[in-house]
Amino acid sequence: MASQPAPPPDFGKHLERLETIVRRLEAEDLDLDEALKLFEEGVERLRTARAQLAEAELKVQKALKVEGSDR
Amino acid sequence: MGAPLDLFAAASAEGAWTVSEVTRRARSVIEAGLPPLWVRGEVSGFKSWRSGHWYFSLRDKSAQIRCVMFRNDNRGLPAPPADGMQVFVFGRPTVWEEKGDFRLTVVELLSTEQGGLWKLAFEKARAALLRDGLLDPARKRRLPPFPRRIAVVTSPDGAALRDIHVVVTRRWPVAELVVVPAKVQGEGAEASVCAALARLAHLELDVAIVGRGGGAAEDLWTFNSERVARALAAVPVPVISAVGHETDVTLCDLVADLRAPTPSAAAEAATPDRVEVLGHLAHLGQRLARGLTQRAQRMVDRLDRSGDRLTAAIQFRLEQSRSLLTAHGAHLEALSPLKILARGYAVARDADGRVLKRVAQLPAGVAFRLRVTDGQVAARVEPS
Repeated sequence: MASQPAPPPDFGKHLERLETIVRRLEAEDLDLDEALKLFEEGVERLRTARAQLAEAELKVQKALKVEGSDR
Repeated sequence: MGAPLDLFAAASAEGAWTVSEVTRRARSVIEAGLPPLWVRGEVSGFKSWRSGHWYFSLRDKSAQIRCVMFRNDNRGLPAPPADGMQVFVFGRPTVWEEKGDFRLTVVELLSTEQGGLWKLAFEKARAALLRDGLLDPARKRRLPPFPRRIAVVTSPDGAALRDIHVVVTRRWPVAELVVVPAKVQGEGAEASVCAALARLAHLELDVAIVGRGGGAAEDLWTFNSERVARALAAVPVPVISAVGHETDVTLCDLVADLRAPTPSAAAEAATPDRVEVLGHLAHLGQRLARGLTQRAQRMVDRLDRSGDRLTAAIQFRLEQSRSLLTAHGAHLEALSPLKILARGYAVARDADGRVLKRVAQLPAGVAFRLRVTDGQVAARVEPS
């Protein structure tokens, strides 16, 4: 069986984390230090997510034919 | 009714049975020995009673059976059968004791014309799938919101693949499309689609689309195969069927997690819209900036209360930066509060890294560290 290339990055995970960060920043009484850290991570995630959408180009691959039966 | 009759007790003094006893016995023998079955024959003597029940005979060249189809079973049919019509019926053989008639209680009736034979095969397969729980609505899985890899089982040079390609390119090019070629109609299609579906388990997928472009209803046969439906049910990720026929629901449609009317619609259902997602990201960016500005504002409020003369100037600057943040959601990273440090603020911390916010935390002579824009320095409160 031919090995599969790694799947594309998980956009959903980025977005989920970003949403969590925004909610914490809005709701919790964090000290400035922690708020800063969260903000920086948020900006980084935002940038990554945007880049994924901006640069994406649909990749198409064909699963190779399997001759006979291997299962 | 199920207990065997005691022949001696049941017999009269002359050793003869009563009519009731014989018919009852005949009924139990027939009901136990002949399970419900499909019968093919010609309708004759059809009569619909005021009660809504149908009475007719089913015959072939050399025999006939009396049939009854009760109102509850026949009201789903488009029309009553005409005398002389060739039909398939599904019924329970029994004996109608009052008349001493051998009879079939019909629960399904199909014309052999207009695909009646196919319908028969379809109904049988559907019943089998239903029995095995494959049509249970609770089996239907939710589609992943942001798919990474989408498999398409279809003819590699068909219109279905082209349509799906166009839609996914427009909506969600973040994903990867894996084409699993299959012969979707004609000789060998059943085995080909089954093999393709079985291969999906070996690909790292989020969702799969099984489809074909339009075409004649007869070409749907592959997707009405029980074998194909079972192979589809065994796929470990959610499957969308896009068989491309509006009126006929196939077995694959019933088993799939979602039925789409066309391959394009399947691709739409499988993907989020990039433009909408970008809008959502922009919104999150604004909230991120606002959230942080509010934190900073609290710091300013504290300074305010302590009567610092700089407050007004700071507030003015914060107002400025806040409107900048809102206006330039796209350039948030440039507006990081690290910039606040760059404007000349400093954060004081003790040896353990705790932020020193109050005078009480800074007694005379104590050593602390000061974080400024480009690093930190050691500092000490002047001895009093």
